[in-house]
Amino acid sequence: MSTDTTVVVSGAAVLLPGADTVRALAEGPAAGGAPVEPAEHVGRKGLRYKDRATQLGYCLTASALRDAGLLGDDGLTCAPESVGVVASSNFGNLDTVARALDTLREETVSGTSPMDLPNASSNVIASSAAIRYGLRGPNLMVCNGQTSGLDAVHWAATIIAAGRTDRVLVLGVEPDNDVVRRLLGGARAVDGGAALVLESRPAAEQRSATVRAVLGPYRRSAGEPGPDRGRRWELPAHLGHASGAHGVLQCAAAVGWFDAGERGPVHAVAGAAADDARADLLLMAPEAA
Amino acid sequence: MTMSPIIGMGAVAATGSGVDELFENLCRGRSGRAELRGFDRTRFRAQHAYEVDNRPVPGQDVPGRATELLLDAVGQAAADAGLGEDLSGIPVLVGTGLRELRSLELWWRDGSPFADSGLHFGTGLRERFNADVTHTFSNACSASLYALALGSDLLHQESEDAPDTVIVAGVDVLTESMYGLLERVHPQPPDRVRPFDRNRTGVLMGDGAAAIVLRRTERDAPQVHGRLRGVAVNCDAYHVTAPSPEGIAEAMRSAHRMAGVKPSDVDLVMLHGTGTLLNDEAEATALADVLGDSASGPLMTAVKSMTGHTSGASGLINLIVGVRALNEGRVPPTVGLDDPVEEAAPFRFVTGEAAAGSGRLNVAQLNAFGFGGINAVAIVEGSR
Repeated sequence: MSTDTTVVVSGAAVLLPGADTVRALAEGPAAGGAPVEPAEHVGRKGLRYKDRATQLGYCLTASALRDAGLLGDDGLTCAPESVGVVASSNFGNLDTVARALDTLREETVSGTSPMDLPNASSNVIASSAAIRYGLRGPNLMVCNGQTSGLDAVHWAATIIAAGRTDRVLVLGVEPDNDVVRRLLGGARAVDGGAALVLESRPAAEQRSATVRAVLGPYRRSAGEPGPDRGRRWELPAHLGHASGAHGVLQCAAAVGWFDAGERGPVHAVAGAAADDARADLLLMAPEAA
Repeated sequence: MTMSPIIGMGAVAATGSGVDELFENLCRGRSGRAELRGFDRTRFRAQHAYEVDNRPVPGQDVPGRATELLLDAVGQAAADAGLGEDLSGIPVLVGTGLRELRSLELWWRDGSPFADSGLHFGTGLRERFNADVTHTFSNACSASLYALALGSDLLHQESEDAPDTVIVAGVDVLTESMYGLLERVHPQPPDRVRPFDRNRTGVLMGDGAAAIVLRRTERDAPQVHGRLRGVAVNCDAYHVTAPSPEGIAEAMRSAHRMAGVKPSDVDLVMLHGTGTLLNDEAEATALADVLGDSASGPLMTAVKSMTGHTSGASGLINLIVGVRALNEGRVPPTVGLDDPVEEAAPFRFVTGEAAAGSGRLNVAQLNAFGFGGINAVAIVEGSR
């Protein structure tokens, strides 16, 4: 018996200063955009005690699930077990760790806040999105350096192809704050990110979902990069470091191009010779499904 | 069901370095508990942990210890499997709760050098082993069993470029922030890890790393320590720190289904058993429910009573100790367990001395549950 292990993109979302749609992202966000305000997207309820990355993750999760037709006014429109989460972020909880440490050193353990405990665990972005929206499939946090966002897409596709779940919400998000800026030598991080809904082709067909892109081959390697195999999306320099969100942003931009009628493949690349490896992923227009 | 042979193993924890020493010390009931070795003790109410005693100058912490322990365990496992020191092209999947956040802490407060490329383990694995298909998963305390699930999926892909060998690892060392915040939520400072005991005071962290080499088939394998029959992963989607017995039970049932075993087939359960106030009851409730009439059948133990909570490493440490126990017919005890909680009343805990199983031990269940309600349960069999 041969099973269809093709994985498609059936939803996408973007939140960056200067871009809140995949089309705007694909065209290149303008400089001078206002910072993302999470309460404007998901309301104030439940945001207290959540770090910036988790709040941005909530907004992207809601937006991508809605875009895929999986989230209605009464919650999920599919079985909770059928949705997994794979999130990518390198800087997500660095602010919580640094702040808790400052308190410990300057006061004692009694000065720390118990509300910081969940945020001290780096997987808080992935698990919080699952808790808020009731996503009970596999839940994975990828913190894998520059290639992390494309790696997250790869792992989401892998668990779908293995039959662990029908669909996965992929999140790529990086917050901007003082700790991150010191780590980046004064440069800023994007303070936003992107999300995708990946789905097995049969699962997408069964619910008559609109296919927005088709995933092609992925590779992580330190070897010599090959030639470009499709259109490349470049992150505008004014947005700052995208780090763990970079790969997911490129996939979301590809969806933006395909939505606008582009039919050629898109080649996403993250990491370079100076990093521990580089990752490549090809995305194809919907008719390739 | 897909069966993956385990052809190499490596481990290090407070209780020993190398699988042989670790297993022997655990069987002797030796605990790695000691006074905090690398932090300023005046900042904390709790004073103990289960650390690997490898700092160059006692009392002075140094960056990069998580990477060092990881490279040690991966090196052991690769050598055991005959892979040598060049791991380029071989996927290395690392599960961790805290990445290199301890190095970030030492940079933030004490000025040691650090760059964002040092947060994950790909950089260190590339330098030592030329490894480039490296993945760091930060999945709290179930991280290494989550990594095991992904490694198994990778091996059994229906694709021409599916690898035939995968290395799965887990690692964590204490961070000041996590040690402090964990202590902060306990009414009285935890003194030692006493899993499932009524009088336990809570959880304390431990340092540790573990690695295994998995193969798609047994062809040309230098040896087979055991076989992975299946790993199930899910998410409670319930609470950021409190576990859900229903979510845990579902992960266990799903693991049994994937592995093709019935509750009565399970001979040994390597419990997650953190000694945390809420968790042990949740684990016991779920396990008693899933095992049903067979709840008194398998031997059970929680080695965190001697290693402390090694977080991201703990699932794979359980796997390695469990495989060894199946093959040798000896199970390390749960130290400090005198009076089990009511939820665990039906269980056959190993206490006091290492138990030599009365019959053959064939199948072990391994549990790992993490913050955010992320559950992973694996089923392995020995090679005896």
